[in-house]
Amino acid sequence: MAEFSTSVEDKGEVSTIYLKGFLDAHTAPTLENTFSGLVDNGKYSIVVNFKDLSYISSAGLGVFMAFIEKVRENEGDIKLSVMSDKVFNIFDLLGFPLLYEIFKTEEEAVNKFRENKNLGS
Amino acid sequence: MNFKTENLTRNIKFKAFVGFAIILFFFKLFFGSNDSVIFRVLNEVFVILTAAFFILYMFDFIRAKKINPLALIINIGILNVIIFFLIIFSDPILNWIFGNVKERLSKPDLVISLISFLYGLLFISSVSYIFFTFKELYFLKQKKNVSIYFNTMIIFFLAASFASVLNPYPDLHYIKTTFIIISIVLIIINSIRISWIAFLVKKEKVSLLVFSVIIFVLFIVNIANSSESHLLSNFSTSLDQFMNLMMIYGIIYFGILFFTTLFHLPTAEAYDRKTQEISSLQYFSKLITQVLDFKELSETVTEIAVKVCNSDASWIIWTENNETKPLAKKNIGIVDTNLISGYILSKIKKDSESKTVLLNLDKFEDKGKLSEKFNSIAVSPIKTHNEIKGYLVAAKKNDFIFDDEDKSAMDTFSDYASIAIENSRLLEESIEKERLEKEFDVAREIQRKILPSKNPELECLSISSVFIPAFEVGGDYYDFFELSENKFGFVIADVSGKGISAAFIMAELKGIFESLSKIIETPKEILVKANEILHRTLDRKNFVSAAYGVIDCKKETLSISRAGHCPVLLIRNNIVQNIRPSGIGLGLNFTDHFVNTLDEIQINLEEDDLIVLYTDGITEAKNINLDDFGSIEFEKILLENCDKHVDEISNKVMREVTLFSQNISQHDDITLVILKWKQKLNLDGENKWQNSAPQLKTKVK
Repeated sequence: MAEFSTSVEDKGEVSTIYLKGFLDAHTAPTLENTFSGLVDNGKYSIVVNFKDLSYISSAGLGVFMAFIEKVRENEGDIKLSVMSDKVFNIFDLLGFPLLYEIFKTEEEAVNKFRENKNLGS
Repeated sequence: MNFKTENLTRNIKFKAFVGFAIILFFFKLFFGSNDSVIFRVLNEVFVILTAAFFILYMFDFIRAKKINPLALIINIGILNVIIFFLIIFSDPILNWIFGNVKERLSKPDLVISLISFLYGLLFISSVSYIFFTFKELYFLKQKKNVSIYFNTMIIFFLAASFASVLNPYPDLHYIKTTFIIISIVLIIINSIRISWIAFLVKKEKVSLLVFSVIIFVLFIVNIANSSESHLLSNFSTSLDQFMNLMMIYGIIYFGILFFTTLFHLPTAEAYDRKTQEISSLQYFSKLITQVLDFKELSETVTEIAVKVCNSDASWIIWTENNETKPLAKKNIGIVDTNLISGYILSKIKKDSESKTVLLNLDKFEDKGKLSEKFNSIAVSPIKTHNEIKGYLVAAKKNDFIFDDEDKSAMDTFSDYASIAIENSRLLEESIEKERLEKEFDVAREIQRKILPSKNPELECLSISSVFIPAFEVGGDYYDFFELSENKFGFVIADVSGKGISAAFIMAELKGIFESLSKIIETPKEILVKANEILHRTLDRKNFVSAAYGVIDCKKETLSISRAGHCPVLLIRNNIVQNIRPSGIGLGLNFTDHFVNTLDEIQINLEEDDLIVLYTDGITEAKNINLDDFGSIEFEKILLENCDKHVDEISNKVMREVTLFSQNISQHDDITLVILKWKQKLNLDGENKWQNSAPQLKTKVK
């Protein structure tokens, strides 16, 4: 079975989740746990880095939907970054670009959070 | 001998006993004072017969019971106490009531005869019972057939008893004396054969030691006192003699018993352990095949571990999901378990240990926190597939330590435990797997009933559809609707997730699209409404990608809206066009945003236009290297075959996909629907479309 793992790195206010491997119905709970870990600790500015993700299934996409509402209610956001064309295509087909901000690089996503913060303050 | 005849003979023995007892009574009453030899012999004969039938009756009566040697020993003790009181108190009490008993006995009246008779009967029964108990003890756990020695002894007992008739003739005393001496020799020979002591556990041996001393003394006291009872010697000299012999037997037997037990005592513990080990292992090997419940199994493991190595407490340290916790604690509290477990884990190098390790808690800094004085610890790894899953721990209190025997017992036992635990895990897994398979069967059945069983027959379109469910049921859905005379609707959708939950959402979709298609004719509106309805039931995590299209046969147009689904392919003039109007998947967003971003496209149809609907099961079909089948390959095959009949095209696609994914299990449902537009003018000849059989195919594994 294909493996999947996540790691989290805090960069100031923003937390970045790095995804690696195959994200499908069987591995989705791992990502769910990672998200709940952040949300439970009050970290609502989340960037997801898809650089090492080789595959995502519909169940994997569902994980992002499960948390976006709660995160946005708390004035945070989930921003997606560094997707391969293949992964982006799956997101794109479902209309995710209409729901999430997707960035070419992780820095852009992180900076976007900082800009918003500066504008807000 | 069957039960009925056994009962019958028992009855006869009882009647014989009662009969002889009555004869004896009347004989005593009328001829009790007669001192002639004949009457005395007759008296003894009646007494012996009465006693003999009583003993025979007893054999049958008690044989049915399970014999415990210690209980027999206690019986003998109690009977001795009774005899003791009978002897000690009979003469004084009678003297107090009747005056001089000795005198009255020489001229018996009815009262004294009755008392003497009852007294005699009490003796008969007590002595008989002692005799019977000795017999049982003698034959207990004997390996050889030794009845010949015992029977010879009885014969000499009887001979000696009967010879007491000759008491008044001092010249003939040597006969009785000879018989008694031979009897005593036989008693000694027979008493040496005590083989049942070895089978007692240590505790029982200790109590046996105490009992044997007490009973030994009681026998000596009784034999010393017996000569004082005039009542007994008057009643029957042979009974008196027989009782004396029994007392001698008792003294010798219990004397030997005391020493034998004493010599057995040092080895008792080792013997106990061996028998315990054997019985534990037998019990456990049986258990391996029986226990289904992991918790129950672990409880039994620790329970047996305590016995196997004579420890005071035992528990299992179990690691699962990176969490280590104590299981099945036996004779130990949670605080102690946690403290000692922590110490053990810090001391033991994981993966390196394959045998039992002995630890001492002397250097354990938290030793003072333990509520009980555990000191020695034995730790055995529990392995499954060469991986240490946990440890079986046994602990001893105070100064007791684990010796080599305990260690090897733990080694063997933890091996057994590992196998049993592995078995129980495997069983649990296979039960779970079976349950999942059942669930998928149900999901596939739902899916099969929801999907159209055959393709509609239309004049303006030829239609082919293929559906292959994945083992885990992906939640693909497609359907056709004849909206009005000229309008034909179709839908294709893919529910996120798998299994029975996806199948239920699919069933809901079927209801939604079936009813919406009857009242709304524009694809966008239908998808907007469907999204609204799904809002109420869908989980946040779940969503549905769908595409809905309407073909107007009269206006020759195709209107299509897409909510997150794979693009609809239009093949015209050997060019594949991806029809991909904007739209978010159903269930992802329930605001105006969804409505505003959802587009509807209208296309004018031309002759031989091919409209292909599919789910990502095709483009994401994997080969053994986990490469995707891909949309480029898919489009290529469609282009190469676009001039063929729709069924042929879909067959071709499916063949290529199957070839690509051979040797790898299909991980998602595959749905392929191909529509071919035909101009109405060319109806003749090609109108008779093959009505292909139900399109649901089960994948051959």
